[in-house]
Formats: sequence, C-alpha cells, structure tokens
Amino acid sequence: MSTKLNGNRVGVEELIYESCMLMDERNWNGFLGLCDDGFEYMLTAYSPEIKKDMTFLDHDRKELKDLFDLLPKHNTDRSPFTRNATVYKVDYDDAKKQANVVSAFQIFKTTLDGGRTGLFAVGKYYDTVSLGGAKPTLVKRHVKLDTRDLAVGTHYPF
Amino acid sequence: MSRNSEQWTQKPNLPTTHYSDPIIYSDPVIFEEEKEKIFKNTWLLASHESELPNPHDFRTYDHPGGTKLVIVRGDDMKIRTFINMCPHRGNLLVYEPSGNSKNLVCIFHQWAFNAKGDCVDIPREKEGYQDRVGKSDVALREVRTETAFGGFVWVNLDDNCVPLKEYIAGALDYMLPELETEPLETMWYYQGTINTNWKLIHDTNSEFYHDYLHYHNRITGMTDPKTGYWTRKMKAFPNGHAQVGTMEASYEQYQGGGHSKLGWPNLPAGWKLVDLYPCITFNLRNSVLRIDTYIPLSANKMYFEFRAMGLKSDTPEIRRQRQKDGAVIWSPWGRNLHEDLIASEGQTIAMAKDSEKMYFIAAREEGAGCQDEIALRHYFTEWDKRMGRSHNDPMAKSNDPMAKSVARTVAA
Ligand code: FES
Ligand SMILES: [Fe+2]
Repeated sequence: MSTKLNGNRVGVEELIYESCMLMDERNWNGFLGLCDDGFEYMLTAYSPEIKKDMTFLDHDRKELKDLFDLLPKHNTDRSPFTRNATVYKVDYDDAKKQANVVSAFQIFKTTLDGGRTGLFAVGKYYDTVSLGGAKPTLVKRHVKLDTRDLAVGTHYPF
Repeated sequence: MSRNSEQWTQKPNLPTTHYSDPIIYSDPVIFEEEKEKIFKNTWLLASHESELPNPHDFRTYDHPGGTKLVIVRGDDMKIRTFINMCPHRGNLLVYEPSGNSKNLVCIFHQWAFNAKGDCVDIPREKEGYQDRVGKSDVALREVRTETAFGGFVWVNLDDNCVPLKEYIAGALDYMLPELETEPLETMWYYQGTINTNWKLIHDTNSEFYHDYLHYHNRITGMTDPKTGYWTRKMKAFPNGHAQVGTMEASYEQYQGGGHSKLGWPNLPAGWKLVDLYPCITFNLRNSVLRIDTYIPLSANKMYFEFRAMGLKSDTPEIRRQRQKDGAVIWSPWGRNLHEDLIASEGQTIAMAKDSEKMYFIAAREEGAGCQDEIALRHYFTEWDKRMGRSHNDPMAKSNDPMAKSVARTVAA
C-alpha cells in the first residue's frame, strides 16, 4: 500500500457519496455517468442458513442500463430510498492507478403514502475506483448485504 | 354504473365454489384453526438434503403449526427431525439456523442428545435425580420425516399421517425426471417478511391470469404465440395439489441478460410448475428450480422462504450463470417476485378484516388452460374439507362444532 495518491481521498469520497445521491434521486443515467465503460456491478448476500454467498445482481454496464431502462415497464413500489454511506477505508494501488474503497451503508425506505421511514437494509460497498483519468470513476461495485429479509424486495439496485 | 352497498355485498350469481368470503384471509380465529387443522397434519417441505450434507449437520425449521424443529443428519446419513426444545426446562436446543455438532447440547444445564434423539448426558444425573429421572426417560420428540422428490426434507407433526408419497398423490410425477436426474443443491435460501395472509401468495401461484401483472411474463409468454402459453393446462390432484403444463418461454424478448441457454437436464427450455397443499410451490423454469414455502405468523403476516436450486455438479461458471438466470425474475430484485408480493400486500390492505365486505371471485373457466382458476377452486375445496367450513360463507354454514363456536366468538 502506498500513500502517494492520498491526495485523492476527497475525490474518492465524493464519488461514493455522489453515487448514493444519484441513486437516491433515481437518476440512473447520472449514476452510469460516474462509471467506467467496463463497469461491473454485483450484489451478494451471505446466507448462514446454507453457508453460501447468494448473488442477486450480476451485471455489466450494458445489462445494468437495460435494467434501468425497463424499470418503467414494471409494477414497482416507488417509495423513495435514502442511502447513508460512510467511507471506511481507501487502499491505493499505484501501479493500476486505482483505489479499493470500502464503505458502510444503510438504506432507508420512506413510504409514499404517509412518509414513514424505516430501515430497509444495511451492508457495505466494495468499490474499485479508477484514478487514472480527469476525475475518479467507478470500475467495479460489489454490494455485500448484511440484511437478507428484504420484505417485498425492490427493483432498484443499491 | 357503480354499485351501492346492497349491490356490492350481494353474493355473486355464480356457483358457491367460484367465490370466497375474504374473511378467510384476515380472521385471527380462522388462522388459529388453520394451524390445528391444516398445518399440524400436512406434509411440509422443511429443507433440502444439500443443506446438511455431512453427519451431525443440523438445520432448523420454524414449523407453521408453531413448533420449532431441528433437522439432523446422523452417522448413518439418515435425516431425522426433532422438536427443537430441551425436555428439561424447555430451552431452545439449537440457536443457529445451521451447523455441525456431534451432540446437541443444551446451553442451559448441558443435557446432551445424539443425532438419533437419545439423551446421552445429564450432568450430575444420579446426585440430583437418583433413579427417578434418567437419560432413557428424556429422549427428544422425533417428528415424521422423509427425504424425497429430489432430496427435499419433508416433515409432518402428525405421527399417524399417511406416507408422503400418498399425500403428494402423483402431483410431482411429471416433474420427477427433472427432480431426480441428478443431485440438487440449494444455491439460495432467503426469507422475506410481508404483511399478507399466507394463502394469498399461494393463490397467486395457482393461476396465470395474473401474468397481466408481470411485464416479463407477458412479453416472454402470453403475447408470443410460438411459446405454447395458451395450450398450457392446469391439472388438479387429490389433497388440494395442482400442476401447470409446460411451455417454451421466449426469453430473448426481455432485454437485460440473465436468460442463458443453460436450461435444466431433461427440460432445456421449458417451464413446469406444481402447487402443493397447503403452501409449497415447485417452479422450474429456464435453469433454476424455485421452491416457495410459507411460514404464517398471524392472519395478515407471514414470511416466505425462497430456495433456488441448482445442480450439485455445477462448476463455478455454471453456478454463476444459473444465479443470473434466476435473479432476473426471482431474487429480492427479481422483476416478477416483487410484483407478486406487492399485489399480495395490496390485497391484504384492501381486504382487511374491518373493510367493507366483498366477494373474492375465482370464476374463470377456460378449458383448464393456464388462466383458468380451476386450481384456486380446487384449493378451496380442500380448505373447506379440512376446516369444516365453507370458504364462501365460513362463519355460518359449518357442521363442525369447533367452527360453530368459533363463529359465535367472532360474531360476538
Ligand atoms: S433446559 Fe436444557 S438442560 Fe436445562
Ligand atoms: Fe407471479
């Protein structure tokens, strides 16, 4: 690990927080704008019942865009989500001009009818961030969920 | 023209088999009675053998009748089920959902039991009990268990129940080539707690008319004549079970990946579905077998258990693809699953116990095609038989003394 790229910590944090804000706004194109062309997105949860990781979303950039584009075709609980992330750790890989970032997040759902807010899920983002360009971009996001009981579920990626 | 109260509450001009009183979905007394009359004497799917592959592996099950169970694999590789309760002072024996332990040792006073349910240790036995209580008096209570139909573990709290095969009554036969082709493995197990009555999701699984809810199913099936969607047939089996004939979905119609050509042995591109009474669904499509089981918590709250099954022989690459195939429609992010669940919750909100009474219509007759509601009607015939009530008039027309007293309590 090196600290040479440490000056980019603010840029890295802003990227993670902006990804949360854009997803909260359901600005999917905005979110994709933060992502590298080769972006990979994965969401998993570990099941202690069967002692296995379960992969619930596993998409490249094109597939993720298809998912976003099809959202309006589906019947969905459109209650807003609010993500609250904290960047815990940034490890720099100077050779690859990348950072590996671990952030904790909680995601809250606020009901459309009545506005009650409840905790929906908690987990961590394991992000790979490219630092080689003009601004940091997301190369990979692996969402590891702690919460597994997601009630009726959702169509919106975390 | 809209209807006034009198018109709205009039019984439909249909055979009584074709509609229900929604009180069956919300009444707490009916729910308590269902635990006694349905859950405590039907075969329920509790686990899969791959979830406890080795001797001394265990796995818990929250039985809908209200009893906690623990499933254990013995040295002899046999899978047995016991009530997950220490016979000393009633503590939970096993706290974790799965694990491995030579003996099940109660944390409270360390009584220990082997995988056959025998008590093998009582600390300071002689000093405290002399010869009044001994290990041979306090074995665990074993529950009827069978491992069958693709390695699933089935339990029945009723010691005098019929064998599993007799209960299933041929309903799974047409899926046997796929279930028994090679060993299966649970690749997902997850629960979801939802505010609905346990029967409502099973109702949903029992008809395909609700494909109007699912954009995915409409474009990959209903609106594509070459899929054979309209020739799928519903078939009823004894004991309230039903099955739906296969079709070949046009997955390429749905963008976004996740529908590979992987398929399933003996069923490369089909879709078979079996609903078992009271709340189990075997749903095999594309490359994934999905198993639904429901654990009711009250008249309007339950959690579902979802299992997605793959093959034990899957390589990591195949397993990744299989998960991807299943995820598009059935994970917590699955397009269809979320739609089904918000509909079930919506029904529970609208048909709440104190809401204006209505009649729930299950009257489609389409030559037993997949949008015929024959399986719903068949399900309710079984419910009536077991409950000693009529689903269309559950509080009034019972000859069963318990149901009558229940009806009086509810009316009071
Ligand atoms: S309650 Fe289990 S040993 Fe006492
Ligand atoms: Fe459905």
